[in-house]
Amino acid sequence: MSTKVQIQNAKKSHIKEHNPILNTVTFLVMLIVVLACIIPFLYIIAMSFSSAAAITNSRVYLWPVEFTVEAYKSVYEYPNFFRAYGYTFLYTIVGTGISLVMMVLFAYPLSKDWLKGQGAVMKLVVFSMFFSGGLIPNFLLINSLHLVGTVWAMLLPYAINQFNLIILINFFKSLPSEIEEAAVIDGLSYFGILVRIVLPLSGAALATVGLYTAVFFWNNWFAPLIYLKSSQYPVMMLLRNIVNGRTMIVDNGGMGEKSSLSISIKSAVIILSSLPIILIYPFLQKYFVKGMTVGAVKG
Amino acid sequence: MGKRSKALSNMEHVKKVSFRHYLGRYWQFYAMMLLPLAYFILFKYVPMFGNILAFRHYKPLAGPYGDRWASAGKVWPEPFRYFEQFLLVDKFWVAFKNTLIISLENLVINFPFPIIFAILLNELRNLKLKKFVQTVSYVPRFVSTVVVISIMSELLSPTLGMLTRLIDMVFGVGKIFYMNEPQYFRMLYILTDMWQFTGWTAIIYLAAITGISSDMFEAARIDGASRFQQIIYITIPTIMPTIMVMLILNVGHLLSLGFEKVLLMQTDKNVVVSDIIDTYVYRYTLGSSSPQYSLGAAMGLFNGVIGLILVSISNFVSRRLTGNSIY
Repeated sequence: MSTKVQIQNAKKSHIKEHNPILNTVTFLVMLIVVLACIIPFLYIIAMSFSSAAAITNSRVYLWPVEFTVEAYKSVYEYPNFFRAYGYTFLYTIVGTGISLVMMVLFAYPLSKDWLKGQGAVMKLVVFSMFFSGGLIPNFLLINSLHLVGTVWAMLLPYAINQFNLIILINFFKSLPSEIEEAAVIDGLSYFGILVRIVLPLSGAALATVGLYTAVFFWNNWFAPLIYLKSSQYPVMMLLRNIVNGRTMIVDNGGMGEKSSLSISIKSAVIILSSLPIILIYPFLQKYFVKGMTVGAVKG
Repeated sequence: MGKRSKALSNMEHVKKVSFRHYLGRYWQFYAMMLLPLAYFILFKYVPMFGNILAFRHYKPLAGPYGDRWASAGKVWPEPFRYFEQFLLVDKFWVAFKNTLIISLENLVINFPFPIIFAILLNELRNLKLKKFVQTVSYVPRFVSTVVVISIMSELLSPTLGMLTRLIDMVFGVGKIFYMNEPQYFRMLYILTDMWQFTGWTAIIYLAAITGISSDMFEAARIDGASRFQQIIYITIPTIMPTIMVMLILNVGHLLSLGFEKVLLMQTDKNVVVSDIIDTYVYRYTLGSSSPQYSLGAAMGLFNGVIGLILVSISNFVSRRLTGNSIY
């Protein structure tokens, strides 16, 4: 009897599992999200490869019209572009390197709950997430350290991000303590344990935090705007100036040939400046999704 | 008496030895921390104390803390002259109001969106499709604000933009310069935020949903709950703590909007709605040829203190109502 009821219920629930409204809504929302995320990029790619005439006549939608690499040639011939691109790589690589070293050295001791003073330092870290010196005190500090106009202004102030730090701390906490205890008995120092045991086990966490940090440095344009000389600008600053019509070709939104070319040049710069990060992230996706949840849920 | 003090000094001796012993054993941890901690204090806490400039007179070359206390203002006593300089100015309150309106509208629209997206994503039974949708939805998070605004300015370019053309084609409204018109500013701000962060923020909710034991869904299924009922009675209540924590964090950041994005989107025409506290500060300090640093610091401090109060209140309310809090 009871088995019969269960089977009946199971049948009933099987029927209810097929909810056509829910399925349709789900499918529609997914479709909209995917299209919304892809279409803007397709449009920019199409613009960057289309001829000026096609752009002027409003014939370009999501596919290049009268395919040409004229825009990329113009970017290639623009001398500041490669300098800016080089600076972007410099800031990203050196900035991420400094940041990872600093955060690992900070996070490992902070992952030891029993360490005297650990609680107090954690409180300092957490409080600074909710209250900070604003724009001006930060600027004046960098100014008084004589870092304005040097590349260090771009690298040093951003080395420790509290959110990333907490991801690392939580990851180190999740490692089994037995391995470390065994290493202590074998006479390995704590520095040795960090370098030879903890770090090799932390690839996922380091990849996550490394990616976040690299993306931050790659995309940062405000720090260069207020701290750097124009000869030190990264590519994002170049793009910002193109958008604001301060560099290269002035775009007045006019209908002329020149304006159309400037739109395709702008598109080419957008593509070139976003490509490296967009190409890297799918490979790191499985790590950073994990890292994001560890940091957010426990932090 | 003598015995007691002797015992005490003995104990202190023991304590000292054990402290030395402790350091001898664990000094490496403190050594590791030394550089990052010094660094952290220099770049996070020194600027925090640098807020004192809000009450001090700034003089070039006199350092970040100014050279003397601020003198009295027209109405307010010393050292509050810089607070008077914006708290009694209408334009500042316009910026304050703009900040709050953009923030609240953004919160109301963009807070539920990632939750809904995560729940629906979880309803996708095709795992490959689910993975694909997720991967695609993260892309916008990885591009710079500059790129987002550049793409938008191309899509909405008044003469050539694809969206401008399509909207004109469908509704016949003419070719509008959307990014320059005040009435569209907030909508564009909120839409770009939605575009950039929906997929990303959904990760957190999706993780919370994946963490729900499948036994619960199974039990509900046996009891005859439909998929929709499962969402309402199992999924949402279970991820409530995550939702509350995210809400607290969001409310705490109500006054700190995407400053960089607003700065990029601001034009002479839309400034009436796009002027927020941060851009107001910027215009009077780093964006000005005669920067007023003390005034900027005062506005920054005002902003920061309100932010701190907002976090504390929302944390308190959430703890009282739902038992969830971040501290």
